[in-house]
Amino acid sequence: MIESLRCLPGVGPKSAQRMAYHLLQRDRRGAERLGQAITEALQHLRHCTQCNNFTEAEVCERCLSARRDHSLLCIVEMPIDLNSMEQTHAFSGLYYVLMGRLSPLDGIGPKELAFERLIQRATDGEVKEVILATNFTNEGEATAHYLSETLHARGLKVSRIARGLPVGGELEYTDAATVAQALLERRDYQ
Amino acid sequence: MGRQRVDGQTCFVLHHHPYSETSLIIDVFSRDHGRLPLLARGARRPRSAMRGMLMAFQPLELGWFGGGEVRTLAKAEWLGGMPLLSGRCLMLGYYLNELLVKLLPREDAHAALFDTYFAALSALAQGGADAPELRRFEISLLRELGYGLTLDVDADSGEPVQTSADYAFVLERGPVQKVGAGDTALEQGLRGKTLIDMAADDYSDPRTRLESKILMRRLLAHHLGGQPLQARRVFMELQEL
Ligand SMILES: [Zn+2]
Repeated sequence: MIESLRCLPGVGPKSAQRMAYHLLQRDRRGAERLGQAITEALQHLRHCTQCNNFTEAEVCERCLSARRDHSLLCIVEMPIDLNSMEQTHAFSGLYYVLMGRLSPLDGIGPKELAFERLIQRATDGEVKEVILATNFTNEGEATAHYLSETLHARGLKVSRIARGLPVGGELEYTDAATVAQALLERRDYQ
Repeated sequence: MGRQRVDGQTCFVLHHHPYSETSLIIDVFSRDHGRLPLLARGARRPRSAMRGMLMAFQPLELGWFGGGEVRTLAKAEWLGGMPLLSGRCLMLGYYLNELLVKLLPREDAHAALFDTYFAALSALAQGGADAPELRRFEISLLRELGYGLTLDVDADSGEPVQTSADYAFVLERGPVQKVGAGDTALEQGLRGKTLIDMAADDYSDPRTRLESKILMRRLLAHHLGGQPLQARRVFMELQEL
């Protein structure tokens, strides 16, 4: 059991031991619930046919929600990125989670990421604008570039989230790369 | 420990992969120490100053210490001056990196190749004509690896290659003048002029650009020993979207 717990991120041998003793000695009910929850999640969890995020239903709640703007589709790399976008409360459209990014040296290309599925989703007629919110790494940029080309060619409006200094950011404390890119991508100011 | 401390090295990150929960192993190409892996401790922590800086295609000044196969990264500074690669140029950058990762042995200094790589990336970053830089890099790579690439001397006769003659390129040997037409049907056309242009580093002729690309692809495939280039496959698949 200690060995199994160590598969969790950030859990070393000591904390795994502590968790195991806690579950077995102090909280056996909790241990039972945890075991059941994991088994159920593994059995029922699948990818939403609309957004590709993990869900237990065929289509997740967010994708079914009438309160969301179904003409906006925001593409992110991972579920955690979707959570970051949601925390902004600034986006009311829908998402598509790629579950990765292009990584040519690791052999991750459009087939491995199932671009075909995403293209189908984005061209279902309801989506009018696609917002590319992949990371500002080389891999995220490559992903955004090719998705932009292929979705643009299919008549969709495509935009990319902007990069620059953090809110409340001071030049003095911002890394050189960010400042350099912010300078390069400067815009008219009135 | 502390067997060696190296500072102020101009480097490029070729590739990286996560190591433990918070660290990163980067495959680095340095000007004076060649290619080597470095452990970037804590580089994946949310507030790490190195997070985001250790990216490919950007000149960095790195310092490291330690013995053993994997040294520890001690210092990283952004040198800047190179716009980020994008689109097709970014994919070509991955192609260069994959060639280095697959063909360049570790800890062999190749300063001339480093400079050619730097120049090729600069050209890609400007988004301009890239064929000469790519060919220059490929030729430099094979020469630095000791494959003694001879372009403008006939491997059979020892005579200089002639502009108007046709040649076949024999692997491990060099160009051999074709006698008669089509004695090697599989061979792509290779003019003497292309070989002379390549030796003179002149890629202004479109046919030289095409034939040199085909020749270098064949030579690299040979030295890769059948290992497929992932970057090329991914690039091709992306073009078909
Ligand atoms: Zn969904």
